Amino acid sequence: MFRTGKLTVAVTALLALTGGVLGVSAAAASQPSTAVTGETYVIGTDTTFAPFEYREDGELTGIDMDLIRGIAANQGFTVEIKSLGFDAALQALQSNQVDGVIAGMSITDERKLVFDFSDPYFDSGVQMAVAEGNTEITKYADLAGETVVAKRGSEGETFANSIKNEYNFTVKALADSATMYDDVKAGNSVAVFDDYPVLAYGINQNNGLKSVTEKEQGSSYGFAVNKGQNPELLAAFNIGLAELKSGGEYQEILDTYLDAPAASKDTSFFGLLSDSLPALMKGLGLTLLATALSIVIALVLGVLFGFFKVSESRVLRGLASVYVSIFRGTPLLVQAFFFYFGLPQLTGQSIDVLTAGVLTLSLNAGAYMTEIVRGGIQSVDPGQTEAGRSLGLGYVMTMRRVVLPQAVKIMTPSFINQFVMTLKDTSLLAVIGFAELTYQGQQIYASNFRTGETLLIVAALYFIVINLLTMLSNQLDKRFNK
Amino acid sequence: MSTSANNTASAGSKISVGGLRKSFGSNEVLKGLDVEITEGEVVCVIGPSGSGKSTFLRCLNKLDELSAGTIIVDGFDLGDKTVDLNEVRQHIGMVFQHFNLFPHMTVLQNIMLAPVELKKESKADARATAVKLLNRVGLADKADARPAQLSGGQKQRVAIARSLAVNPDIMLFDEATSALDPEMVGEVLQVIRDLAAEGMTMVVVTHEMGFAREVADRVIFMADGVIVEEGTPAELFGNPQQERTRDFLSKVL
Repeated sequence: MFRTGKLTVAVTALLALTGGVLGVSAAAASQPSTAVTGETYVIGTDTTFAPFEYREDGELTGIDMDLIRGIAANQGFTVEIKSLGFDAALQALQSNQVDGVIAGMSITDERKLVFDFSDPYFDSGVQMAVAEGNTEITKYADLAGETVVAKRGSEGETFANSIKNEYNFTVKALADSATMYDDVKAGNSVAVFDDYPVLAYGINQNNGLKSVTEKEQGSSYGFAVNKGQNPELLAAFNIGLAELKSGGEYQEILDTYLDAPAASKDTSFFGLLSDSLPALMKGLGLTLLATALSIVIALVLGVLFGFFKVSESRVLRGLASVYVSIFRGTPLLVQAFFFYFGLPQLTGQSIDVLTAGVLTLSLNAGAYMTEIVRGGIQSVDPGQTEAGRSLGLGYVMTMRRVVLPQAVKIMTPSFINQFVMTLKDTSLLAVIGFAELTYQGQQIYASNFRTGETLLIVAALYFIVINLLTMLSNQLDKRFNK
Repeated sequence: MSTSANNTASAGSKISVGGLRKSFGSNEVLKGLDVEITEGEVVCVIGPSGSGKSTFLRCLNKLDELSAGTIIVDGFDLGDKTVDLNEVRQHIGMVFQHFNLFPHMTVLQNIMLAPVELKKESKADARATAVKLLNRVGLADKADARPAQLSGGQKQRVAIARSLAVNPDIMLFDEATSALDPEMVGEVLQVIRDLAAEGMTMVVVTHEMGFAREVADRVIFMADGVIVEEGTPAELFGNPQQERTRDFLSKVL
């Protein structure tokens, strides 16, 4: 698998170069497997990459999961699985926060610079699929003049691009499998090029597609440890893998996910609703938690910098202006990436996704709050301050008793608005793998391919919660700001 | 009270202004004013718009910073950075053209705010004082009203009561009747007249020439940032010496 993580890869490559210069040795391969007996290893993995890892009824399952657990049992060690997301898992491995990573990861030369890979445990490859009802396209030559879709940065995209001139078609890139399949079903593209196991799993899950060509020979997936670290674990993995293969368990695992007919599930809308609601509610809880934390911190920041903005000190005003212009002048998404991926690389200190998410949202909302506070204070008639000061009240007292009570009243509707904005902005944190509501929705349609219905449910949940909270806020506003 | 500045002012002098200049950017609004005001004196300041009357008044309690010159008010040198302005301002009441009542408070709370916050009086005492002051301006029945429920004249009377609550020695009126409907001017002027009769030192910037003639001990005519002419009402209105003064009076009388 080749998904995103460009940042990670870039830094990874850089580190690898230095590592190579320093002569960090490749792992010694064949250690006795007894070295791992009784040990516990922390294994990082992706959150959803069906059929290699995904959640079913809240439990992590998939080929990778069955394989690593099977090998652990075979070799007498235990594993603790951490579902981190692909990029985060690689980062965790580099900083030795996890001992190994199994995440449907292709063995590439670039990655070999920083990681030691096991023997390949799965031969992937690219395959083409079209909509179930499509009878016109059965081979690459039928694609002439058409548009196909592939996953951005994936082997599928590389392959499609390598043959597009020969067969005269256009390649469009999208971010994830579920979206690509929807694109094909909607007729925007006639075919999709995707990793064959992912495609096979999707077809098994009735994603509405069918494969029409043989798979192309592609890369192999491997289990990775950090360069020079845990050689005994790598060795045990290789031995265990060989034993599972010779014992037949390996084939059983593959068959379970790639060949078995789809489980007969309730495919009605209400079936989907009741199946997905527990996960979505969990996501909603995290959405509300992140919103609440962010808005409280943003309020503190906003009041602080808002006062800076109206203060007589040029330094404080400047400080507040710089803060506001940085966080208003850059996209929230870039900020989220920076705090989650960039900052840890600059500081060497890893950061959990909730902290990074709340940091992003509160600093961002704080900038807007600063302007709301400044605007609120400045919209109070200066005569009010003059009246207070002429009575002999000090600056602070005049602010507290005269200006702020009026300013807060003016600010409240904007505060409520910002609150709603921040709640909605939490959905952007899905991109850094924060398991909030949107993310949960993506997880669900990534494995059941019912994108439209799932998103409808997600949107409805946002709509209900936001409107309830807005109504509540307006009630409070009316009661306290008469 | 400060004692240091007392010797710089002549006996009985409440306000002593020397060489007062004030600029806003490159625009010089006050171009060197010298004024002495003694205790109990009522001084009315008249003049065309933009003459600097209001700025002069606002310098007296330092709502506007002076650019040059000296102001000694009630013994406090306003040019002295160590003088506690909040303390000085408790000796000087100010009434604004647009009342500037606090809209989020009742009439009573408006009046009680400063005495209570400045810890001059207990809440109960402040309330008693406020009620007394409201009686004095004839608004005892409006104690619990909000400013928005009052007429302009009533608002201005409350504003006067509010500035009297800290028991000032000097009162400044900045066009206190200019924003009022004509039928309400009288009630506000009556309150100011009563204060004058009680011997309050007052500086009144006004467009009410009749009132100035009746109440003032002295009238100052300002134009273009300077004092053009000053004198008793009889002198200034009856026999103005300067062409500029005569011109102004011919337009407003």
